[in-house]
Amino acid sequence: MVKRRRKQVSSKKESTPATRTERNNDALSDDLDKNADHIRSVYAEASDLIFRRFYIAGKQKAVLFYLDGLVDIQELDDSVLSPLMEEFTAEYSDVKELLEKKISVSGVKEFTNIQDCLKKISSGFPVILLEGRKSGIALNLTKFEKRAIDEPPAEAVIRGPREGFVETLGINRTMLRRKIKSPKLKMKEMEIGKYSVTPVILAYMDGIAEEGLIKEAENRLKRIDIDGVLDSGIIEELVEDNPYSPFPQILTTERPDVATSHLLEGRFVVLVDGSPFVLIAPVTIYSFLQASEDYYNRFIISTLIRWLRYIFLLISLLLPSIYVAVITFHAEMVPTSLMIGMAASREAIPFPALIEALLMEITFEALREAGLRLPKQVGSAVSIVGALVIGEAAVMAGIVSAPMVIVVALTGIASFTIPRYSGAAAIRMLRFPMILLAGTLGLLGIMLGLITIIIHLATIRSFGVPYLSPMAPMMGSETKDVLVRAPWWKLNTRPHLTGKYNKYRQAPGQKPGPKHGGD
Amino acid sequence: MAYGYLHFSRKLLLIVFTWGSLLVLAGCWDRVEINDLAIVLAAGIDKTEDDQIELTVQLAIPSQMGGGQQQGSGTGGPGKEPTITRQATGTTISEAASILQQKLPRRIFWGHNEVIVFGKELAEDGIREYVEFFAHHPEPRLRSYIFVSEEKASALLEVIPYLEQSSSQFARELARFQIGLRVTLKDLLERISGGARAVALPRLAYEFDNLKDKKGGLNINGTAIFKEGKIEGYLDDRLTRGLLWIRNEVHLATVSFTPENAEGYMSFKLLRSNTQLHPEIKDGKWKMTLSITTEDDIEENQTNLVLTDPKIIAELEEQLAAKIDERIEMTLEKIQKEMQADVLGFAKAFEQKYPDEWDQVKDRWEEKFAEVEIEVVSKAYIRRLGMSTQPQGIPEEEMKGE
Repeated sequence: MVKRRRKQVSSKKESTPATRTERNNDALSDDLDKNADHIRSVYAEASDLIFRRFYIAGKQKAVLFYLDGLVDIQELDDSVLSPLMEEFTAEYSDVKELLEKKISVSGVKEFTNIQDCLKKISSGFPVILLEGRKSGIALNLTKFEKRAIDEPPAEAVIRGPREGFVETLGINRTMLRRKIKSPKLKMKEMEIGKYSVTPVILAYMDGIAEEGLIKEAENRLKRIDIDGVLDSGIIEELVEDNPYSPFPQILTTERPDVATSHLLEGRFVVLVDGSPFVLIAPVTIYSFLQASEDYYNRFIISTLIRWLRYIFLLISLLLPSIYVAVITFHAEMVPTSLMIGMAASREAIPFPALIEALLMEITFEALREAGLRLPKQVGSAVSIVGALVIGEAAVMAGIVSAPMVIVVALTGIASFTIPRYSGAAAIRMLRFPMILLAGTLGLLGIMLGLITIIIHLATIRSFGVPYLSPMAPMMGSETKDVLVRAPWWKLNTRPHLTGKYNKYRQAPGQKPGPKHGGD
Repeated sequence: MAYGYLHFSRKLLLIVFTWGSLLVLAGCWDRVEINDLAIVLAAGIDKTEDDQIELTVQLAIPSQMGGGQQQGSGTGGPGKEPTITRQATGTTISEAASILQQKLPRRIFWGHNEVIVFGKELAEDGIREYVEFFAHHPEPRLRSYIFVSEEKASALLEVIPYLEQSSSQFARELARFQIGLRVTLKDLLERISGGARAVALPRLAYEFDNLKDKKGGLNINGTAIFKEGKIEGYLDDRLTRGLLWIRNEVHLATVSFTPENAEGYMSFKLLRSNTQLHPEIKDGKWKMTLSITTEDDIEENQTNLVLTDPKIIAELEEQLAAKIDERIEMTLEKIQKEMQADVLGFAKAFEQKYPDEWDQVKDRWEEKFAEVEIEVVSKAYIRRLGMSTQPQGIPEEEMKGE
């Protein structure tokens, strides 16, 4: 069984490259009609292909191809067709000269084979082929509807830039470039997806990021052989180090400032056309607990808020399980009066605490999910019903106890303090096995679960960087951006594991204030 | 790749199976929901006429103790008492408890037992055998407070007190105040097996406001002194204060006396006090020096003394120290000479400083203790004078001091 499957896969692999290249690699012939027919046959039944024959200066036969809706037709008419079609006497020996003298479009590319030609058409470039020439020209006149730059809703800030990435790769690229004006910002472009042919950009800082890391990233990206890339999430799953882990090993952000700050710390950023979420790697678990705002607010406050997040991370993971463990196994652990209060509220509850906790947690997750999916107008209605049903009616009806509602509500709030959604989702999911462990083995089970999670976290890596670093392995000075948010005048060095090739990011001793020992 | 996938799904199956059976086989066996527990708040132990143990437990009724949202008003009127007492007899405490369990629909849970009361008759015969249960069983807290009842322990637990919800809470709060002695199970276990072989336990008494519905209150009424686990004698409230002072356990104290050369009383409120034991063996003579440092506030001044005068304050400090001395001497007289029970911690102090000498006398410590020479060195400081520094309602000419 195992063997057979293996064979099938390997045979498939061998056949793919052959069929793919077929005859599109062929060079253009000097017969215009043959070329045109070939292109039209490739695009047969694609109703949006526009095909127009015309004569340059009334003599030279030429064909124009473009995909409707992707091209700036006004510009095409004014700067290309009209100058070419008006009568002129001069002879042009080759395409290049024609381009230089007649076409007033800045972005022009010459190509000689059919595959390039098809790619250009599909990407929205108008393409012109000439009679008797073995090359054609593609004009950069793409224009299509795009979303305006907007504030990213999932990563709102009080203080900090309010712009967010959009679905258009070109705009996203310019947003990065606007932040880093140095030519050291490199952007390698590649195409991923057999059919979607999605442009993907691998951006990094030359001289800061480790070369081996960039090579590895490039290799992993190039390895991808897939039909289409609809969002960066697909790429994320295909390049991760540890695909079965619930914890994300690649950070996604919609904010150019976040992407930029990671670039400057020696990480790489992957921009994917069609997705406002860019990928950042390598990251550690702490990246998911840091908001961009941490670096813009005063450092004392940021430090406190980070600790708040750490505490609430634990609450989000452990509170329901600790509650279940304590009231089913360790009733001696709570103060007497609290214990009696909890016993009183559980007096009429039909379910054991374990079932009660699972019931409430699942209800909460359902409410959260429903709130996300429902249209905005209905959303508020759902939250009212949810609050009434789980907060009030369920307690009144004696189905769940009031302390359990408090526990679930607190857990819910706690999970929203984690700034990165993908990180929060992992913790939320792990809560359920923890509740099961607590309900069967008590505190022992919680310890068992915690140890398992910690071992797992210590195992996984993101592009070679240990997930728990700099806490495990412990790197004392690196905790300046984990345990606290050190003031900017102290953050002189880049993070060790990604930035050691260019250690210093700023001059030392920039702490403002009067000079010591002055006059 | 395909092989890897299969490998993983097998591994996953294995993990799910092992974890699942781990949870199902090893888990849940001691799972009890808190609403299936009969929470013991206090336990009383008495002796019956046929020499059996009568165990009385005070159980919490959670829904009556407040916190229950379904029941509305938590603290109900008559007939809706927040606790209930149940009794059972047996040859051992454990047997009595299991007989008691037969009469209860919920599992007896000792984890919140805060008060253990020994009945008078049982205490006179010896408590040692019965303390063992609470040290042996995993549930009871080592922090529960131990009392000796003036009468039957069961009667104490049945009191429906004012202010507090149950007599166990009442007793617990009294112990915490440390007006009387405060002895936890841990202290008792330490002392009962320590070199001194003598223990002091607070004596708990009750008084009814209303006999019919057992409304009333509790109070700590002196101290019971145990030797070899049996009651040797009692100290009254005044001597108990002295005992607290010697044991460095005094926290709340008011001392009143009439100063020399003045009329009316002055009351001093204790701020803090520190007692140190300095054992000394010289030429075969055992001597213990108690050095007591007390800091006080003046709380009441009925006299004509003006308190801003440093000379007056110095005099008062001396008199205060003498007053404390006097009280301590009284206590020592009773404990050392009459009862010969070392509940003062002398044994430990000597053992620590003179281990060799201690080894020689430890079998006859009782006699040796009675021979120890005790010196009390006490010092008192008056720290604050209070809001008014001058006597009230006295013409200025009659005031003493500047």
